[in-house]
Amino acid sequence: MEFSVLIGGEAGQGMFSVELELSEMLCRLGYTFFATKNYMSRIRGGHNYHMIRVSDRPVHALSGKPWDMIIAMDSAETERRHRPSLASDGVFLGSDRVGQIEAEAGEAFEDVTATGTILVGLILACLGADPSAHRTIAPDESVGRALAKGGEFAARWGLTGRRVISPRPGDRCKLDGNQALALGALMGGCQFVAGYPMTPATSILQYIASVASEIPVHFEQAEDEIAALNMALGASYAGLRSMVATSGGGFALMTEAVSLAGMTETPVVVIDAQRPGPATGLPTRTEQGDLEFVLHAGHGEFPRVIFAPGSIEEAISLARRAFDVADRWQIPVFILTDQYLADSVQIMEGRVPTKMLRREYPVFEAGYRRYALTDTGVSPLTHPGLSEARVEVDSDEHTEDGKITEDLDLRVRMVDKRLRKLEGLRKEAVMPSRSGDRRAPTVLVSWGSNRQIVDEAVEALRAEGIAVSSAHFGQVYPLTPQMARGLARKRLICIENNATGQFGRLLRRELGLNAAHQVLKYNGECFTVAELVERVKKVLG
Amino acid sequence: MAKQEIAWCPGCGDFPIRATLEKVLKELPVPARNIVLTSGIGQAAKMPHYLPYSYFNGLHGRSLPLAVGIKLARPELTVIAVSGDGCHYGEGGNHFIHTIRRRLDITILVCDNKVYGLTKGQSSPTTDQGIRNALDPQGNLNTPLSPLVMALAAGAPFAARTFAGDPHHMEQVLREAILFKGPSVVDILQPCVSFNKVNTYAWYRERVYKLGEPLQDRHEAMRAADRWGERIPIGIFWRDGQFVCREVRETFRRPVTEAAVARLLNTKCIMMR
Repeated sequence: MEFSVLIGGEAGQGMFSVELELSEMLCRLGYTFFATKNYMSRIRGGHNYHMIRVSDRPVHALSGKPWDMIIAMDSAETERRHRPSLASDGVFLGSDRVGQIEAEAGEAFEDVTATGTILVGLILACLGADPSAHRTIAPDESVGRALAKGGEFAARWGLTGRRVISPRPGDRCKLDGNQALALGALMGGCQFVAGYPMTPATSILQYIASVASEIPVHFEQAEDEIAALNMALGASYAGLRSMVATSGGGFALMTEAVSLAGMTETPVVVIDAQRPGPATGLPTRTEQGDLEFVLHAGHGEFPRVIFAPGSIEEAISLARRAFDVADRWQIPVFILTDQYLADSVQIMEGRVPTKMLRREYPVFEAGYRRYALTDTGVSPLTHPGLSEARVEVDSDEHTEDGKITEDLDLRVRMVDKRLRKLEGLRKEAVMPSRSGDRRAPTVLVSWGSNRQIVDEAVEALRAEGIAVSSAHFGQVYPLTPQMARGLARKRLICIENNATGQFGRLLRRELGLNAAHQVLKYNGECFTVAELVERVKKVLG
Repeated sequence: MAKQEIAWCPGCGDFPIRATLEKVLKELPVPARNIVLTSGIGQAAKMPHYLPYSYFNGLHGRSLPLAVGIKLARPELTVIAVSGDGCHYGEGGNHFIHTIRRRLDITILVCDNKVYGLTKGQSSPTTDQGIRNALDPQGNLNTPLSPLVMALAAGAPFAARTFAGDPHHMEQVLREAILFKGPSVVDILQPCVSFNKVNTYAWYRERVYKLGEPLQDRHEAMRAADRWGERIPIGIFWRDGQFVCREVRETFRRPVTEAAVARLLNTKCIMMR
């Protein structure tokens, strides 16, 4: 059983607040839901809309089916754009009805912003939520009254219990993609974050900034992205696990410091929350267009790892892992997310593992050599001020003790040392996650945020008797031969949010896997399950 | 340190700066292990290689954000960023402004030879208008920057100028700059024997004179720091006795606990609009 609602209007008309409050209340009442949004790069006006899918089973994508309810905060645009996608038995609450709510909100609460809470109460009533529970979920008495008022409107308009959905018992928490990454980073031992605001990465910085007063983590707003990554490298050199978060345009400025991390073997984690480019592109929309950019960013040759989480759980686990990998191998590690995952609020059922990773601080004596040549390529790492060991780090090619060198034989040994880390990194690569019938001849291949859309599409296709499975790559670099197991003889369909099929190319280059087809989307929106099902069916003929 | 190990031209102003810095750092009332130097790229930026301390010699223009990261992570360290005029004022100009604004205890030393040395003689931000070189064959068209005025405008609570040809003066100024609790800037007039045939040791000796006591306010300091030409003042233009550094919380070796992270679960989502 499902209930999907779209709330549309101009920026500034309160839809964000409705989504925020509704998702909060749904979580407290024990509902499972998925919420995401489509918004313009402006503060007022334009057209934004928020989509919430409530279900009696875990859902992690937009279904793409007609809306059960549309709420228009504006007079015409929401109706014009979205009413055609309203289900035949769906409810349309236009500006006249929202106006009635606003009027009563003004009267009863002397505050029209109570409209949002009343709408939340109305939606909860549609779901058959027990009104007596409102008291337990409302943060204060006036919110409780506004929720009850929403119940009254639902009753007045005959909407109470329109689609009764049962809450699911058990532990749960509600996270958006960026929050999950920030939490994962903290679990990975991250204690220093620098950044310059850029949509859709800003909320990662904001999460860290908002908790920095309570926990020993430092956030610094840099003057630009160049400074941000250099600050993170300085903090890492001094002994803190460090991170930056940005989007493609900001990452472009960071690339020289990525190369610096490679040369100086300074551990750091870089999050690129992708949005459509080139240049400023579509600042508030989604795309997976930066894979090849991040893969090749930074002049010169040095090892790196790139993760692309596809769920809240994976965002936490891979962010945590990123710090461990960066630290143990002394390399830059990248996390590719995007606006869609960043701005999607989801329910994670069960207990969130909060095990923390800790860093060791070995101490060395005078004569310590920061770049001592080793079999693994990893030299002992320490930090200034801990002992008489001087920590000498240089962006030039350097000797084992960090001095500038133009000894060309040593140059070769140093390059080999750095690149040797890839052998070890390949051994501990994160394998793709598979779902569906592994014997099926067709595999839908995804990376990053498409994972759960693809998984639900696989279920839907199988329900129609079409035998498919999915393979999601949470690690997109390095790719290892083991990852190709079970894929070599299959008909691969690569699902990507970009125009050129970047991951498909990487699969061919690194693993010799040829995707027979690709399903691409690059208008700035995510796939819906229904849309993906249709497009895959079309490919399969 | 043996001279042949050093990649500077014989007679370079960087030699006396290095020798003075070595003396000052050695006499500093902090453990040697707690001193960290950062630098960018250029001849002056090689300085840390010739001093016995931890260092991070980073990229061109980026010594200051490195210094900021180090200082924020480990406030107990004495952090000194040393580079040239091209690095601090040109490629790193934005970092120069904003590092000063961060109110951290970082010393910024600028070996200012008014020319790009390592790339062989092109105009720097402090090169005089009309100076000819390979990339400015018709003469430099740009107005030279007044770096200490810029530092003061950014809020530097300590701004000084010294001269590589006067080791005694340089020693006093560098020591005070490093001991000052806050962002301190020292523009060091440094002859370049290979590419700057105008601003030589002799040229400076004829012109520099020592300021007396520090000036009374920032605007007076700006006016004095802006003086250039036949008479060039050196000394501490501005030292803000009331200045208070920003507090930096200790985070090193104080990891976030599992309980703290568990408390953060289920905090409200932040909706970016």
